[in-house]
Amino acid sequence: MRKLIILSAALAVVLGGITACGPREQGKSGKPRFAFVTNMPASFWVIAKKGVEKAGNDFGVETSYHMPTGNAAGQKSVLENLLARGVDGIAVSVSDPANQTDILDKIAKKTILVTVDADAPDSERLVYIGVDNYTAGRQCGKLVREALPGGGKVMIFVGSVDQDNGRRRRQGVIDELVGRDSDPSRFDPIDKGVTGNGYEILGTLTDQGDPARAKANAEDTLSRHPDIGCMVGLFAYNPPAIMEALSQANKLNKVKIVAFDEDNDTLQGIIDGTVSGTIVQNPYEYGYKSIEVLVALNKEDTSLIPENKFIDIPARTIVKENVVAFWDDLKIKTGETEAGE
Amino acid sequence: MKKIYGILGVFTVVFILTAIMSPSFLTPYNMERLILRTSLFGIISIGVAFVIITSGIDLSIGSIICLIGCGLPWLLVKMTVPLPLAILIVVTLSLLIGLVHGVLITKLKLQPFVVTLCGLLMYRGITRGFTGDQTQGFGKFFSELRWIGVGKVAVPGVPIDTFGIPVPFFLLLMVAILASIFLNRTIYGRYLLALGCNEQAARYSGINTDRMIILAYIICAAMAGLGGVLFILDGNSAQPVVLGNFYELYAIAAAVLGGCSLRGGQGTIIGVVIGTALMQVLRNMITLVDWIPTHIEYAVIGAVILAGVVADEVVKRISASRRAAASRL
Repeated sequence: MRKLIILSAALAVVLGGITACGPREQGKSGKPRFAFVTNMPASFWVIAKKGVEKAGNDFGVETSYHMPTGNAAGQKSVLENLLARGVDGIAVSVSDPANQTDILDKIAKKTILVTVDADAPDSERLVYIGVDNYTAGRQCGKLVREALPGGGKVMIFVGSVDQDNGRRRRQGVIDELVGRDSDPSRFDPIDKGVTGNGYEILGTLTDQGDPARAKANAEDTLSRHPDIGCMVGLFAYNPPAIMEALSQANKLNKVKIVAFDEDNDTLQGIIDGTVSGTIVQNPYEYGYKSIEVLVALNKEDTSLIPENKFIDIPARTIVKENVVAFWDDLKIKTGETEAGE
Repeated sequence: MKKIYGILGVFTVVFILTAIMSPSFLTPYNMERLILRTSLFGIISIGVAFVIITSGIDLSIGSIICLIGCGLPWLLVKMTVPLPLAILIVVTLSLLIGLVHGVLITKLKLQPFVVTLCGLLMYRGITRGFTGDQTQGFGKFFSELRWIGVGKVAVPGVPIDTFGIPVPFFLLLMVAILASIFLNRTIYGRYLLALGCNEQAARYSGINTDRMIILAYIICAAMAGLGGVLFILDGNSAQPVVLGNFYELYAIAAAVLGGCSLRGGQGTIIGVVIGTALMQVLRNMITLVDWIPTHIEYAVIGAVILAGVVADEVVKRISASRRAAASRL
C-alpha cells in the first residue's frame, strides 16, 4: 500500500511537471512552433514536407513534421505528444473523422487547429485546406470518358473505401461516368455493378494497402473480364500495379489505364502513352498553405479564412500534353533536381 | 504421404468448387498468375516451415521482405551500386539477419517470438529510414534482372502469350526439392525434426541443437530475402510502409495448413507448398466468383484454414487409431 502511495505521488509530480510546462511553449529559438501531422506515411506526404519546410523558412517559424503509423490510434498518440510538448498550431490530415472529433476538439481548445487533406467537419477545427475528393473523382471520371469514348467495361481499384478520400473519389468516378447529379453522400456498394451511359462499372476491388494484392486484383480482373476496357487506380500505388499486371499480360495499350496521384511510374506511363492521364492533388501546396494559415491565425489574422471554412487546393488533370512540365516542377519541389537546373 | 492427405483433400475440393463456380478460373492466364503467386509465397512459407519445425516462430519475414525488396532497387537505382555488389549485399544481409536471430535465441536464450517481433519492428523501420519513405522501384531499367521475377518459360506447343511457366516457379521447385531432401534424406533434417519434438532429448543424444536451430533461422531469413527480391522483381514498385505487411502470417498459415505443428517436430515441404497454393486459390476465388462479396475475404480464408487444420487432425487421429488397433492384433 505504501509503495502504491509513493508511486501515485511520484506520478502526480511527473504529470504536474508536464502540465506545468504547458501548451504554447515556444521553440528553443523563441520562434513560434507549428506541427504538421499526416494520416499515414506515404511518398505523397514527403512532398508535403517540402512545402512545410519552405513555408517555415519563408515565414521564419519552426516547423515539425510527423508521419504516424497505425491509423487513428497512432495519430492520436502523436497529437497527444504534441499537446504535451506544446505547439502554437497543428495542421492534421484526419485519419478517422467520424471518431476523432473528441481528441480534435480537445486540441482545438489548447492550440490552433486546422485540417488538411482529410477533413473532420464536425470538429472545432478553424479551417479545412485541401481538395474536394468527390470533385476530383468526377475529374477522374472525365478522363475515363475521354479514354473510352464509346463506353465499355470499367473496374475501379483502390486501397480502401473506409477512408473518406477513397470513398469520395470512387463515388465521383462512378457518378461522372453514368451521368448522375453531384451528390457526394451517395454510396454504391462495392460489389454491385453500376451501369449507365454505355459504361458498365463492374465493381471496386480493394487491397488494404498491399501493392502485391493490388496487382493480383488487376490480374484477377483480366481473368474474369477479358473484355475489360479501362482500369482506374485511385491510390498512388494502384496505377503502377495495374501497369505491371497489364504489361505481364501483354495488354498494355489494349486496356486503358486512368490514374490518381503522381507516382513516378504513373507519370512515365503517361509519357509513354500507356496511361491515359492522372488526377493529382497538390501535396506541396497542402504543406505550404497549412503553415501559412497557421502563422496568420497565430497572429490573430483571420483574413485567409473564407466564409465556408474551406480553402480549396484544386486537383489538376495531368495528361500527355502537360506531364513533362508537371514532372519537372515536381522534381524541383521535391529536391530531386536543384532549382534553376 | 499420409501426412498431406488432409490438406490435399481440402485443396482439391476448393479447386474443383472454384472451377465450377467461375468459368474464368481454369483459363491459362489465371492458372499462370496463380502459379506465380504460389511460387512467391511458397518460398517464404518453406523458409518459415524450418523454423516452425524447431518449434520456433519467425515474425520478421514481412519486414525482411520489405528491407530486401526495397533495399535492392534502392541500392541499384538510387545508390547506383553495381549489380553483383548489390546482390552480395542483400544476400549477406539476409543471412546475417538469420544468424543474429539464431544466436540470440540459442546462446542468449531469448524467446523466438520476442527476437523476431523486434525484427519485425526494426527492419521495416530501418527501411523507411534509409528510403525516406519513398516508393522504390526499377522504373524501366534492369529488365534482364527482372526476368527472374516476370519471365516465363514456354511450354512446347503453347504460345508464350497464352501460357508460360513463370520463372519463380522453377525457383520454388528448386527450393522445395532441396528442402525436401535436406529434411528427409539427410541426417541434419532428422536432427531438426528430432529437436523440434524434444529439444532436451535431442541434445542429450548428442545433437548440437544450437547449431541446428541457428541454421533454421538462417534458412528462414534467406528465403524471406529471396522472397523480397522476387516480390520487387515482379511488382516493380514498393512502398516501404506496406511491402510485405503481414506476409509472415500468410507464410505461417500456409506452413500450418501444410501440416507443420507449431509445437514443432512435424512438417512436410510438399504440404507447405499445397497450403500456400490453397491460400492463393482462395483469394483468387473470392475475386472471380461474383456472388462472394470481396470484403469477407479474410473470413473465408480463416474458415478454410481452420477447416484444413481440423481435417488434418482428424485424418491423423484416424490413422493413429488404426495403427493402434493393428498393433493390438
